[in-house]
Amino acid sequence: MELNHGLISADDHVQEHPRVWTDRMSKSKWGDRLPHIERAADGRDCWVVDGQPMPLTGVAWSNAANSDRAQEPTRWEDVSPMVYSAPERLRALDMDGIDYSILYPNVSGVAGEVFGKLADAGLELACVQAYNDWLIDEWAGVSSRFVPQCIVPIWPMEQTVAEIRRAVAKGHKGVIYPASPMELRKVPHINDSAYDPLWAVCQDLDVPLCFHAGASPKIQMRPTDGFAPPVAAAFSSVVRSVSSIAVLANFLISRVLQRFPTLKVVFAESSLGWGAYEIEYADYQSAADGLPGEGYPLKPSELFHRQCYFTCWYDRMSLRARHYLGTANILWSSNFPMANSTWPNTRQHTALSLVDLPEAEKRQIQWENAAKLYSL
Amino acid sequence: MEIKFGLISSDSHGQLGRDAYVSRMSKAQWGERIPHVIEVCDDKYKFPVERWVVNGEIQGSNVCNCPTAMPNRSYYPQRWEEVPPEVYEPGQRLKALDRDRIDAEVLFPNGPGGTFFYDDADFELACVRAYNDALAEFRQVSDRFIPLAAIPFMSPMKTIVAEVERAVSTGHLGINMLGDPSVGLKGLKNLGDPSWAPLWSVCQELGIGVHMHASAGLAGKLSLPQWQGYSHRQSHCVSTLRNFCTATQFVPFLIFSGLLERYPRLNWVFAETGLGWVSSVLEACDFEWDKRHLWTEGIRTRPSDQFRRQIYVDFWFETVGIQLRDYIGVDNILWESDFPHITSTYPRSWDAVEHSLAGVSSADREKVLYRNAARLYRLV
Repeated sequence: MELNHGLISADDHVQEHPRVWTDRMSKSKWGDRLPHIERAADGRDCWVVDGQPMPLTGVAWSNAANSDRAQEPTRWEDVSPMVYSAPERLRALDMDGIDYSILYPNVSGVAGEVFGKLADAGLELACVQAYNDWLIDEWAGVSSRFVPQCIVPIWPMEQTVAEIRRAVAKGHKGVIYPASPMELRKVPHINDSAYDPLWAVCQDLDVPLCFHAGASPKIQMRPTDGFAPPVAAAFSSVVRSVSSIAVLANFLISRVLQRFPTLKVVFAESSLGWGAYEIEYADYQSAADGLPGEGYPLKPSELFHRQCYFTCWYDRMSLRARHYLGTANILWSSNFPMANSTWPNTRQHTALSLVDLPEAEKRQIQWENAAKLYSL
Repeated sequence: MEIKFGLISSDSHGQLGRDAYVSRMSKAQWGERIPHVIEVCDDKYKFPVERWVVNGEIQGSNVCNCPTAMPNRSYYPQRWEEVPPEVYEPGQRLKALDRDRIDAEVLFPNGPGGTFFYDDADFELACVRAYNDALAEFRQVSDRFIPLAAIPFMSPMKTIVAEVERAVSTGHLGINMLGDPSVGLKGLKNLGDPSWAPLWSVCQELGIGVHMHASAGLAGKLSLPQWQGYSHRQSHCVSTLRNFCTATQFVPFLIFSGLLERYPRLNWVFAETGLGWVSSVLEACDFEWDKRHLWTEGIRTRPSDQFRRQIYVDFWFETVGIQLRDYIGVDNILWESDFPHITSTYPRSWDAVEHSLAGVSSADREKVLYRNAARLYRLV
């Protein structure tokens, strides 16, 4: 690993370009069902898969790279190459002083949930594999500064596990999975033992399992009538992070961490303050509910410290509560190219955020924790 | 009122007596629909148990949610005679306050009393009036009780406003609100809808706060489907733990909907939600406001300043939010005992206080323990 800036962004997004799937999936087999862009009569581009529009308001989630952050581009030619081209992205990383970038998807859903909704498991697998291959071919193959993480078919589990093994063998360093697959299509609840092979394979291969906030729109309040578009976008961005409260509450009590003691779990785009509170609350409430008497040898905070990670980017005052989360459990990020990214001023933002921290803790949060987690 | 102990609970639960509704609602008009206590069979118990019944529907799995007032703290009374009068009789309840060295307490409902959604606005209104009258009697016994009025959600707005005015004239010092009424009942509007404006106006003019308790009826909607394989205790822990997700999303809603800007003297109180999350929510709102120049979109005041101007949050077991108090706003923090619910600090509330406030200056201690509440409810 080579460090020039001393900063790893643990939550960035690639923008899938129009040929990701058309180049890699069989046209004769899938025809127009494979993910592609269609231009509407009004000139707007729209991603379509299996005959359905994909849930993007524009054609790309690339607001930080736009001249106007409030506007999502509606035509592909207006999308900045910095978001979909690896060589251009390297320049964006250099401009922002970032050494390594951990990658999540955009068009495929921040947690791969778009393909998880497809009724046809064969089509789901083909879409997922094309994305995973593209990320190796055009990103990880261009520079080791891009840390690829695979998306997976959510079900059946044999297919999920097989794709994780295939992707990790090709170089993927993390596994992205939606935190609430049972809301995507008819599959068991995430707590069901049917998911044990998922936890087991991530534990065995020593790759973190990543839940990215925002994959379950139902658990986020929606802006109501009367919100101007930029205000609505701000509101959605704020509630996206805290929507993971329900995910963490369930996961801490679900026993998955207890049963898979070396599994590592990342709650991406989480921010910090609510997590610090929830961990203290979990210890208090689980004791009040008598859970130690129901076979919980470790407190929720101990499980969290052993196995979980939060990502942050704008947090400042919440860092005063870092010891509740564990300084070893916090990953920095720039969230590029989302509208709420600190790019291209991540260095200044980070310096301000971490100003009061001892040097050793700064290093942990800025790069050491991520380097260790992703075996860089 | 006199501050003797220096501690006010901003979230406790007032149980009404078993005849509270029967003695106030017309038997001729409402008959057996009136909330009352009846004897029923429950396979789990060898003896006949009692339950509240409202509109013919049996409520809950006990007759009173008051485990911390019981000799065995995990027991929920199954018959009314087991319920300690300290829970429902105002004169007796003062003794519980003295025992726990608490000066005053804010009274949220202890079922039935939150909502009366039975597809009949007239029945709801009759229940709400009886509830508000019965709870106001606590304050008529002692000004150490701070009652919060229920709202007849299904009535026309002018009826809602009239009931708020009536309740305040009998001693109520706030209203208890759902996070999103449109989730609870079809036909009701979410709180961003302009039709609620007269309610916000009257509360602002009367100087009473709008209160939301824990999930405020919304957290179930903002959560994953609950795992059916959980034991009762696991399930209770998970659903309790996530309840504060309502406040973490509703505070940004208040800020970005412009509600706080339109009613800048109206206070909002979030009970049983803790504090620590406020730091990340305000940092996120400020970050977005800065980045997107939202002052050009009608959100004139910085989100964290809006919060400090008119929002209050409660704590009880917590240390993290106390460490972050300067950023949350030391004037916006209230303490609560949650008597007589399972998580309550009663009867050793001061032990919990000392745990949370170790090392905190006496000026800050006084603010969060009673001065902020005394100011909010204009008690002194």
